Amino acid sequence: MRTAPSARSVAATANVRARKIVDAVATAVLWVMATSIIVLLAAFIAYMIYLGWSALTPSFIFGMPKERDAGGGVGPEIYNSFYILVLTLLFTIPIALSAGVYLQEYARRGKFREIVQFSAESLATVPSIVMGLFGLLVFVYTFHWRYTALGGALTLTLLNMPALLRVTQEALSSVPDTLREASMALGGTKWQTITRVVLPSAIGRLTTGVVLIAGRIYGETAALIFTAGLSVTVNSPYDLNPFHTAETLAVHLWYTHSESTVADVDRIGNGSALVLLIMVLIFNVAARVAGRALTKRFTGRAS
Amino acid sequence: MIKSPPVTAELPLDTIENKLVADNVNVFYGAFQAIKHASLTMRGQHVTALIGPSGCGKTTFLRALNRMHDLTPGARVEGSILLDGEDIYGPDADPVVIRHRIGMVFQRANPFPKTIYENAVYGPRIHGERDKRVLDEIAERALRQAALWDEVKDRLNRSALVLSGGQQQRLCIARAVALNPEVILMDEPASALDPIATSKIEDLIGQLTEQFTVVIVTHSMQQAARISDFTAFFHIGEIVEVGPTNQIFTHPKEKRTEDYITGRFG
Repeated sequence: MRTAPSARSVAATANVRARKIVDAVATAVLWVMATSIIVLLAAFIAYMIYLGWSALTPSFIFGMPKERDAGGGVGPEIYNSFYILVLTLLFTIPIALSAGVYLQEYARRGKFREIVQFSAESLATVPSIVMGLFGLLVFVYTFHWRYTALGGALTLTLLNMPALLRVTQEALSSVPDTLREASMALGGTKWQTITRVVLPSAIGRLTTGVVLIAGRIYGETAALIFTAGLSVTVNSPYDLNPFHTAETLAVHLWYTHSESTVADVDRIGNGSALVLLIMVLIFNVAARVAGRALTKRFTGRAS
Repeated sequence: MIKSPPVTAELPLDTIENKLVADNVNVFYGAFQAIKHASLTMRGQHVTALIGPSGCGKTTFLRALNRMHDLTPGARVEGSILLDGEDIYGPDADPVVIRHRIGMVFQRANPFPKTIYENAVYGPRIHGERDKRVLDEIAERALRQAALWDEVKDRLNRSALVLSGGQQQRLCIARAVALNPEVILMDEPASALDPIATSKIEDLIGQLTEQFTVVIVTHSMQQAARISDFTAFFHIGEIVEVGPTNQIFTHPKEKRTEDYITGRFG
């Protein structure tokens, strides 16, 4: 046995030690940043619950709002938020899904596709308050509908359709072409390939897209102030007619804080915020459960 | 088992049906001509192997045989390909019907993200079969023919994606077989598989010729020699030589074929 005089050691040199310190510091910083997201969310939710918890009484959740006196509720607002959400999704999903399927599966690269894409992207950049004023001009002034749930939902459709279109396109493009090829090679038509292979494979991402859009619809205010209105119908607050005036929870939250003369504004505000948060969470969880079930049904596999 | 090598002299060529006959086929991608004047007769219930170096056009030619180029923007096919004497590029020919009669297995296993059962019956389903009993029978028969039944019969409702690569590829073969096609096209079906999975696929191809005509693209000359009855050698978009497999491998007529099979290029 002999050791060459120039044998190199396996121990860490100063250079290696310095690089390892940088590595450790970087790991720590990244971990803190990632963790801070969780901490922020937890703190936010905890604070909302702390502020709003005492307001969550049956008379608040199911009661009628009041203009001046304390003790008003948000029953019709909860209903309106949900009503407008459903109505908006009823318009948005078919349009965005069809347009997305057309653009991604049928349209050849060319002028028409570029124009549709450009239009959708332009629409996506319109500020919601501008869209609200547009809704005011069209639905309230031109169609003489006054403030209605339908006008609000259509305005929200314009506002959210481009985002869902984008999501649809991305979901479809994530489906590998080899699957389309396999279906076509078995004698499938394009439509069969889309409905039986492409859309089922994309269902998880599509569900996620709808959940994100739904969150935005629940929280939207500016586009609804001038279209769905700032009041509820007192004699029939749970009207099924889409032409009823429909102040949503988010709008009510804004209104009580900025415009109203109600006595217990903080209680109403904090309670509304918490209810809104809970509604978003419930919808989120429900949609994900539905998405899982659909994925399982179509693919035989849990997500 | 590996099939015994076909005996050239005794192949009764006169009595074997000409299942698929390509006549003077040209394939273009835009202005680029990928296949030049290719003519090839593929015999019924035999295996025809398409061999040649990468980029020689063998896959492009294979995809012309069930009109897959219809799906590629800018691709164009000229010439005629006769299936039992009828031109699949004729005015009345319908790609849906053609692909029902001519199935295809791809290079990479591409099972649908569905259950094993749903993969097996996908073809019959889209062609209108609804009867659950019939579909069950088709699934079992196809999976048996693809030598997969024993491995999956207890988990037909599991996702196909939990299967191994070799099993997935056999499932893809079952999926093609379930349509009861006349011809099965295979594009390097074992190139992504390990040797054991490969030999299972090769055994399977031998059995499939009891019922089907097989056309297979392969980059492995050993594989072509083991499993095929006829071999066509492609080079730069042309068919250089066609013949019974052992003749091609033992007495090639063309210099370029000889150079390729002896490993001088490729």
